[in-house]
Order: sequence, then structure tokens, then C-alpha cells
Amino acid sequence: MTALLSIQQVTKVFGGLTAVDSVDLEIAERSISSLIGPNGAGKTTLFNCLTGLHRPEAGEILFSGRSLIGLRPDEITDRGVARTYQNIRLFGRMTALENVLVGQHLRLQASHWSAVLRTSRQQAEERAAREFGRELLDFVGLGGREEVVSTNLPYGDQRLLEVARALGSRPLLLLLDEPAAGMNPSETDRMMDLVHRLRDEKGVTVFLIEHDMKVVMSISESVAVLDYGEKIAEGTPEEVRSNARVIEAYLGPEVAVQEAAGNAIQ
Amino acid sequence: MPLESATRAVRTGLVAFAFLSYLILIGIPGRIGGPALPVMALIAALFFWVKLRRESIEPSKEATGRGQDGFEGKPGWEIGPQAASNGSRVRELLSSHTGTALVLKGLLAGLTTGLLIAIVSGIIAAAMGNGIAIQPVLDKIVPLNAAALIGVSPGQIAQADVSFARFLLQVLLFTGAGILAALAVTAGSSDLTHAAPVGRLTRHLSGPTLTSAGRYAGIALPFVLLAYIAWLGLPGVTAFGTNEGTVRLLLTLIATGSGLFALRLSRPGREQLAVAVLLGLGVVTMPFILDQFQNSVMGLVFIFVMMGLGLNIVVGYAGLLDLGYVAFFAIGAYTYAFLSAPFSSPYISGLLTLLGISPESPLLGYWMALPVAMLTAAVGGILLGIPVLRMRGDYLAIVTLGFGEIIRLFMLNLGELTNGPRGILEISQPALFGLTPVDVTFGLLSSQGWIFLLALISSALVAFVAIRLNESRLGRAWFAMQEDEDVAEATGVHLVRTKLLAFAIGATFAGMAGQLYAARQINIFPENFSLFVSIDALALIIVGGIGSPAGIVLGALALKGLPEVLRGVDEYRIVTFAALLVIMMIVRPDGILPSARRRIQLADPDEPGMDSDPETREEEPGLTVNGDAFADGSGGREEQ
Repeated sequence: MTALLSIQQVTKVFGGLTAVDSVDLEIAERSISSLIGPNGAGKTTLFNCLTGLHRPEAGEILFSGRSLIGLRPDEITDRGVARTYQNIRLFGRMTALENVLVGQHLRLQASHWSAVLRTSRQQAEERAAREFGRELLDFVGLGGREEVVSTNLPYGDQRLLEVARALGSRPLLLLLDEPAAGMNPSETDRMMDLVHRLRDEKGVTVFLIEHDMKVVMSISESVAVLDYGEKIAEGTPEEVRSNARVIEAYLGPEVAVQEAAGNAIQ
Repeated sequence: MPLESATRAVRTGLVAFAFLSYLILIGIPGRIGGPALPVMALIAALFFWVKLRRESIEPSKEATGRGQDGFEGKPGWEIGPQAASNGSRVRELLSSHTGTALVLKGLLAGLTTGLLIAIVSGIIAAAMGNGIAIQPVLDKIVPLNAAALIGVSPGQIAQADVSFARFLLQVLLFTGAGILAALAVTAGSSDLTHAAPVGRLTRHLSGPTLTSAGRYAGIALPFVLLAYIAWLGLPGVTAFGTNEGTVRLLLTLIATGSGLFALRLSRPGREQLAVAVLLGLGVVTMPFILDQFQNSVMGLVFIFVMMGLGLNIVVGYAGLLDLGYVAFFAIGAYTYAFLSAPFSSPYISGLLTLLGISPESPLLGYWMALPVAMLTAAVGGILLGIPVLRMRGDYLAIVTLGFGEIIRLFMLNLGELTNGPRGILEISQPALFGLTPVDVTFGLLSSQGWIFLLALISSALVAFVAIRLNESRLGRAWFAMQEDEDVAEATGVHLVRTKLLAFAIGATFAGMAGQLYAARQINIFPENFSLFVSIDALALIIVGGIGSPAGIVLGALALKGLPEVLRGVDEYRIVTFAALLVIMMIVRPDGILPSARRRIQLADPDEPGMDSDPETREEEPGLTVNGDAFADGSGGREEQ
């Protein structure tokens, strides 16, 4: 498998704080990868660098072999990178379907004049966009809720709608920032199932940040761990789980020593 | 509960009395001429209608606001358990027949007002009958118009006496107004947005026949008014004496406004189309039946409709608060002035000589100048847009405010180019193929009527373009940008292009409005383009309902038209106007006709499966951010 996304020595500094420190990472095409780490480790900052919200001070980000550095967020979306947000950021006063239609914005071609004149081509495009929007809502499990204003959707559905909106731009790579945060177990299962279907049915590569270890360990094919902006481990879930530095980062050095001692006794 | 709603009804009556007293105080009934009592009863009915309708829509809110807990979410008069346990028959009746309850409320409110008016006017009349000249005394304390209060025409005041018949008439008139208002609420409610709480009530009292009758009456109202206005304009008809002009203007404003409501009352589809076409025809005849003064006011109103529609694109659709919108209005006006007035600055005539055009000839006609004015304004919009691309909220407002002032100061101080404070005079009038429409229609269409007609057509065109754009992907991008700029950009909206398009299109509409304004004024000066034009334009879209084109027309009617009607009340004009605005913002904080989006949002809480308490909804994302217990896999919150 070839690397769809290649992050090379990316560094992002906020004043005196190095939020992301020379991180190297490769995401294989059609894979499901996770990024984990304690709070403040720089995970979301790395996502923001990937989507153009922040411009990294150093390093290179290659997507399908082309650099993403210096591009505007909408240009990066145009290349095929879409994302969701840690704290849900839907267009609150829009309906579910409208949210997905905004997601399709840059895939629509009709000129503004044709919108004023309602040419048949523009109308056909709008119809197709609505049709595709309904399909996507069905896909994430929001079928029948097209006309509900998004703030009025239940919390779990709002997260699903964010995924549907991101899919509107027909992305190759989908970045999910804590997709299961705040969800109850059944909603989490739905979300995990959705992530699998995204890859299997839509062929989308998924790269996600998640705190719920059950989710991370069960769906990821590879896991990378950030701590204080540095990548401290990378590998399969099993490898990462038993990595001493990861345990130290999460549970503190004492625990890590005890674990190590425990391992030694065994 | 009945006691409470009775108290509330009496209080409504008291407020109505206070309100009417104020109107009498500033002399509005006196201005209308003739016996003022029916007019006042009509005003009272309108007041009751607003009040009762509001109560019937949000009874739960009113009730819970009174510290009743445990009964939330139920209509106020339905609060059952208590009422049933007390066992009063009246209560049972009222809680089952909500329509009857409403009518009783209206009756009580009307009775209160009527009694108060009758008693006060009776005292005044009695005093006069006993030879006490009360009017001069009143004039010294408060200029209260006693004749209006008693209900006679000013000429008859000398013969005022106490009469039981009048007492009865006054009481009955206002009680009737209250009942009428209550009936109107029950009849109209099932067709309006908030039908649900009172839908049953309609069936109880009036049945479906009255409901659809009410609907048809609503649709017919603008046409009836138009016919009446036309009839008033016939030679020989003098219904309101010297005040006829003002009354006709007021009726024109009401007719235009009620036309919009008629459009909303009609069923979507063929019926709505028919109503729209008929209304369009009716409105287009208005410039022909109004006189010069009324036409000039209506022309101004519709120039501001264009302004409002343009500003609405920037503020209402794209969410960019622009306080310097007058700049584009000024650019449009001055561009047309340069191109069509005899005055020419050395710069412009030099430029024209270069282009091979004689500076002497009247330059471009209205229609040739139109694209130029639109283009110049659009360029102005983009020039303003570029530096403020990165600004949001308050900062944007302040910078645009400055831009508006800069343009005005340019016009004021660039004497050689703009003739400075002396302004540009004798701007030519729009013509059709070299003929003025006044000639073509043999004087039927006055010069101001022609401007009004042009303003109407241009507004319709502008509204059409604005609505279509808003319904396209551009409109969605604007709205997304308004909701969350960063996310919109990350979702694929080109921020620079989308923002500049909003500024440019908004400015283009203002440029069109400015050109028409210059033609209407004939002479323009820098003072015509002060900050207050921007404020007016912004106020009218807020009053009308941000994002709603129909609301903007109503806003313009209320903000630019009504003050002209109130001109009769002299020094109280601004106070009255301000009071009306304050009342408006309390009664309908989302504007007179809020946009469909806002209505969806307001209506949605009935939707199942959502959190009814906004606070918990607000908190959820916050909790997620803090939900950092993750190591054991139980991350986030278990319950939702």
C-alpha cells in the first residue's frame, strides 16, 4: 500500500510552546489510523496543520505526493481532505440536508448567473446535489431527518451529521477529531461501524483522534502516539499498548516502572 | 386561573386606554377630522388583537413567568389539575372552550377601555355643559384634544353635554372592538405559523368556514384598500378634508404591507401565483392613482427597499455588519449625477474630451448610466471589501462606518470634482426613448409617480435576484460563513470570493438605489449621504426581519413611510416613532416578517427527540472538551 498522506518533520510553535515537534507520520491509502495522546499533546494542532487552519513553522505535508503547505483550507478540501471537529461545529441554524449541501459546495459548478436564471443545468445540478446529500445522510444513519435544523438534532446525530457534511466534498482522506467523544456505548458502536463502512464502502482513508481506547484498539490498523508534541510511539494497537513510553505518558513514570517490574516478574 | 386571566385582560384594557390617551394627546384623531371615535375603536381593536394573539400563542410562557411551576408546556387556560379540583363550573367551561375564554378576555379588555373613556369624557363633557371652558385649561396643562375623547368632531365641542346614549355608545364600541379582536385571533390562528396551540379553539368557536373566510378577507384586504384609495383620488370625493393626502398615504402603506401578508396567507401553488400576479398589477397601478406627494414618499420607500435588500445580502445573508452602506448609495447617486447633470468638473470633462465626447451634450441617459453606476458601486464594494476581509464583528462595523464617512467627506471636500457642499444640480430625469412618461400618459403619471414606478420595478428585480442567489449554493455559502467562518472555509467555501461577492452585489443594489435617488431629488448634496442613511437601512431590515425580503419591504414601509404620515403630529413625531419601534421590538423581536429560517428555528422545539432545555444543549460540547477520562475506555459521558 502506498502512503496517501506523508507528514515529514512537521513543527508548529505557539509563542514559546512547541505544540507539534518534528512529527513524522505516514498514512497508508484505505487504512484506518489513530492518533492518541494525553490532553494537550498536540493532536488537534496537527489536524489543524493538515487542514490549513495553522501553517506549520517547519516540515512538509504531502498528500498524494503534492505539498499541502501554504494552501488555504478550502484548497486543501478541494484536494480531498475533509474533517470533523472535536467540539461539534455544525452550521447550527441550517437543516441537516443544507449542512451536507454546504459540504458539497466546491463540487458544484453552476455559475451564480445560472442560479439567478434557474437554467436547466443549474437545476439539474441542485437536484443531483440534494439527491447525493440524502444518500450521504442515509449512509451515516440520518435518513428521514433531512429537514431537521441541526442544533435540534440529538448529540450523537450531530456527530454523524458532521461526518456526512465532510463526505459531501467527496474526500479521499477523512480526519475525525474525537468522533466518539461524549457518546453513549450504543452510539459509539454506531460510530465505529460507520468508520468501517466509510473505508469499506466509500473507499475513504480514515485518520482519527480518539480518547476512547476501546474504539482506538478495536478499529485502528495503526496507532501513533503524541506526547508534548512529539511522536513517542507508532505501530499496531498491540505494539502501542505495551510500549513503556506510552504507559509513562498516560499514567506517569511510577506506574510505568511498576508495569515494567510486573513484566519482569512475569 | 380565570381570575388571573381576568386581571390580565383588565390590564390590557388599561394599557389600551393609556395608549389611546397618548394618541389623543398628540392629536392624531384630531388630524383625521370628523368624529374620531370609530378610528380610535379601530386602533384599540388592533391593539387588542396584537395582545390577545400574543397571549394565545405563548400562554405557557406568560403563565410560567408568574412563578407557577409544574405546569410548564401547557396553555395558560388549560392548567387543569387546580381548576378541576376547585370545581367551579365557569372554570371548567373556560378550560374546555378556549375560544370562549378568549372572547371573554377580549370583552373584558374592551369593556375596561370603553368604561374609562366614557367616564373621563363624561366628566369633561359635564364640565363643559356647566359652562367650564375645559379645552383652554387642557391646552395649558396638556394639549389633550377633548373633542376626540368625547367622540365628536372639533366643531361640535361647544355643544358638548352629558348623554347616556353616548356613554353607552362608547362602552359598546370598545367592548365590540375587544370581541372583534378576539374573534379575529381565533379565526386567523389556524392559518398562521403558530397554529398549533389555538387550532382547537378555532373549531370550537367558529368552525372552518370562518377560518377560510378570514383567510380570504386577508387576501382581499389589499385590493379593497387599493380600490378605496383609487376612489378617494377621484375628483369631487373629499372624505377626510384637508387630511386626505395623509390618510391616503397611510392607506397606501397599509395596502402595500397587507399585500405581503395576503401573499403569505394564500396557499402555495396556483393560488399564491394568482394572488402575486394580481397584487403586482394592483401595485403597479398605484403610481397612477396617487398624487405627487404620496408618490414621492412611496418612491423613497421603495428606494430604501432596494437599499435594504442590498444591505440584507451583506448583513442578513453573509453576516457581515456593514455600517457604511451609504457609501455605495452615494457612489451610485454621484455617478449618475456626473453623467447627467450640466455641472461638469474639469476632470470629468477632460476625461470625456479624451474619449471624444463633447462635454456640453447631456451625457448619458438614465438607462445608459445605470450599468455605469452599478459597476462603479460594485467596484467600491470590492475596494471596501478587500481591506476588511480578515475583520469580524465589531471591528468590521467600525471600519465600514469609517468608509461611509470617508466617501461623504470626499464628496464634501473634493470641490473640483463634486462641487463640494453646493452639490450637483439639475440632474436629468429618466426618460423612455427620449420621451418622459408624464407626456406619454397625458399627465396621468406624475414625475414622482414615474420615479415610484421605476423604484417598484427595480425593487422587484433586485428582490428576485437576491432571493434566487440566496437559494443557490452561493446563498448557502453565505449562510455557512455567517454561522462559522472557519468551518465554512474548511468545508470548501472560498472566503475571499464569497465575501467580496456579498459586498459587490450589495453595493450594486445600493448603486441602483442611489441613481434613482439622484433622479428623484434632482439636486443632490453631500448631506444627503450621512451616516443616518446607513442606520435607516440597517434599522429597516432589523425591524422587518433580517434575511426576509418581504420583511424588508414592511420595514421600509414602517421606517420610511410612517414618519411621513406622522408628519402631522409635529413635534411628537420622533417620540411616537421611537415608541413604535420599541413596541415592535418587544412584540416581534425577530422582525415583523421573520425569514423562513428563523421561523423554522422557532417552530422546531415541537420536534420530537430534542433537548427542550437550551442550557443543556449549550453545555454539551463543553463537556465533551473536558471529558478527559479516557484511559480505561469509558471516555466521555455515559448518558446523553
